[in-house]
Amino acid sequence: MTKFGKTAVMALSAIAASALASTAVSAATLAEIQESGTVRIAVANEIPYGYVDPNGEAMGAGPDVAKAIMEQLGVENIEWVTTNFSSLIPGLQADRFDMVAAEMAILPDRCQQVLFSEPNTSYGEGLLVAAGNPKDIHAYSDFADNPDLRVAIMAGADQLEMMQKLGVDEANLVTIAANADAISTVSTGRADAYAATSLTASGLANQNDGVEVASEFTDPVIDGAEVRSWGGFTFASGNEELRDAVNTALAEFKQTPEWSEILTGYGFTEADVDGSTTRTTAELCAAE
Amino acid sequence: MLFGYEWDLSSPLAFAISILPILLTGMVVTIQAALLGFAVALVLGLIWAVLKAAPSRLISWPAKVVTEFIRDTPLLVQLFFLYYVLPEYGIVLPAFMTGALALGIQYSAYTSEVYRAGLEAVGADQREAARAHNLSPARTFTHIIVPQAVPRIVPSMGNYLVSIMKDVPVLSVVTVLEMLNVAKIVGDRTFDYLVPLSMVGALYLIMTLVASTGVRLLDTWLPKQGIPLK
Amino acid sequence: MHWTEYFSPLMEGAWVTIQLTIYSTIFGAILAFAAGIGKLSSNWAIKAVSVAYIEVFRGTSLLVQLFWLYFALPIAGMAIGLDLRLPPVAAGVLALSLNIGAYGAEVVRGAIQSVHKDQHEAARALNFTPRQTLWNITIPQSIPEMMPSFGNLAVQNLKDTALVSLISLGDLAFRAEQIRNFTQDSTTIYSMLLVTYFGMALVLTAIMRGLEAYVSRWRVARS
Repeated sequence: MTKFGKTAVMALSAIAASALASTAVSAATLAEIQESGTVRIAVANEIPYGYVDPNGEAMGAGPDVAKAIMEQLGVENIEWVTTNFSSLIPGLQADRFDMVAAEMAILPDRCQQVLFSEPNTSYGEGLLVAAGNPKDIHAYSDFADNPDLRVAIMAGADQLEMMQKLGVDEANLVTIAANADAISTVSTGRADAYAATSLTASGLANQNDGVEVASEFTDPVIDGAEVRSWGGFTFASGNEELRDAVNTALAEFKQTPEWSEILTGYGFTEADVDGSTTRTTAELCAAE
Repeated sequence: MLFGYEWDLSSPLAFAISILPILLTGMVVTIQAALLGFAVALVLGLIWAVLKAAPSRLISWPAKVVTEFIRDTPLLVQLFFLYYVLPEYGIVLPAFMTGALALGIQYSAYTSEVYRAGLEAVGADQREAARAHNLSPARTFTHIIVPQAVPRIVPSMGNYLVSIMKDVPVLSVVTVLEMLNVAKIVGDRTFDYLVPLSMVGALYLIMTLVASTGVRLLDTWLPKQGIPLK
Repeated sequence: MHWTEYFSPLMEGAWVTIQLTIYSTIFGAILAFAAGIGKLSSNWAIKAVSVAYIEVFRGTSLLVQLFWLYFALPIAGMAIGLDLRLPPVAAGVLALSLNIGAYGAEVVRGAIQSVHKDQHEAARALNFTPRQTLWNITIPQSIPEMMPSFGNLAVQNLKDTALVSLISLGDLAFRAEQIRNFTQDSTTIYSMLLVTYFGMALVLTAIMRGLEAYVSRWRVARS
């Protein structure tokens, strides 16, 4: 090989080696985080659960509580990561961040892939429709009853399972990648409604006159019970220590008035706030 | 389950085989989007080429600026523009149409160059000979210039068709259910991205191989001097 | 939010885009030379690897390559016991470099083959080894031939960097999407985005043309 060839190969291997070395080997443990003083937390840009303003400041029910918790754990620096909702779990598994503060619904399927903290919030479902609700939609089951209607759901969100259980045909589902695409999707008629949590829908409705929250909404009834979700913080499997530390700090924080102020400040109702303590993560993960 | 097919997670091979029909459904959409985009690019490119060749600077100069602008801006951004901005002015196209339109516009900047080069390559002596035979400009164009330009244009156009096929996955960001989007949905729901994405890569290799071979065959079949007229 | 407030985040994103373009173009150029020369090698192993690399990365879509490196590679790594979890930056630069390297390899190969046979004969007459011929005679003469195509590839690379926004890398397109998510002001943001990319592309084209003129200096003097 020429001298040029040798140098080229060395340069390439050096680059490759440094690229590989720069990746963390495993999810940062609590000790590592406390030592380095930095924790990486991900959100999915969903108002009001966890989102980032254009300057990179994280806001929402998840991030604000996470900030308080991290302060208590002695971690000064939070590196916020924004990603698609469907990339939150894969991102934890690939160690792209240490924790998720998007108030992901605690579901049995998800419990198999990742660890959840105790519930931080609880929320019900809702529908975002075009202004004036031209197709007169008031429930998720409307999409099963009327095969001409199309409903948009976010990739990776649990509304998919709800729709499937209600018998909505796959062809009537429009999967959008990001929450904010919903306004455009619904107001232009590409979908007749966007199925999301009630707060997500009202958050989006506040941003644009072309859409509104469907009135007289009835919660979807699945397996005999009205659907209600509990949202918490998510961690990579194996990182029990971090999860336990966060749980302890969270339990303490919930006793303070600041916690409920944060939640109601973002639009959660008293019922939502009280509801978050009615179930434990163990119960939710073990559910059918 | 997707498109009516269940997947089998028992082993990687079983998984791969079970999602093949799902991916092929996506491949059909990919091919449709590519062909429609190509058609738009061919038509729009011809329009740009004619405008750019106009004797009046008032027409040719804006056309040149517009095609340069299209060439120098990313397909992704053009797609977002068409998908989100047009509706604000009342034009709501379905996602598939928007995607094909974006592909067509992006590639029209390239095809206009191919037209220009192909037409210019037909020697000036051909035009002189046509004038000597008292052929009208229109007849010269359709009977002399175009048949000789086509064999020169076809290989490059064929290559752009293959390029368009490789750009179709970008349409996944506006919910078009082409192959990559379908694979990603399968990955989102099963948390296994390796099998679906690898299969998409392999399927793409096959598609581009078939398309490139097709283009090469077409090239050999076309007579080099020009298409003979009856 | 007033539209002038968009400047700051967009410029931060533009800086990331510029860095991505520079790194991936440089790495891509290295790969292009390696594979382009490798394809002409008489050593069948090197030739096979080069051809395989070129065919695979030219024959598949860049976005597929990007997603594969970002989503699938970690899983493949786990299967063989290696930790291959690339951060978005690494996955982005790697995908862009590999892609442009494959296209560039064909350009390099074509340019090298276009160097006149007389040059090779003269080199042999002067007792140059094949290595010396390649390094001192062929490559320097082939570079001016490559530059126009490299200029096009560089602009193509700049446009391709927009795709890394889809793996949450904070480039110009990503920051624009973030702002749009927040303000829903699609027209203003996308117009600003298009203009910014256009501006960057024009600057890049000018730089590449300047480079082209620089390496072609000796050609002008040739009779």
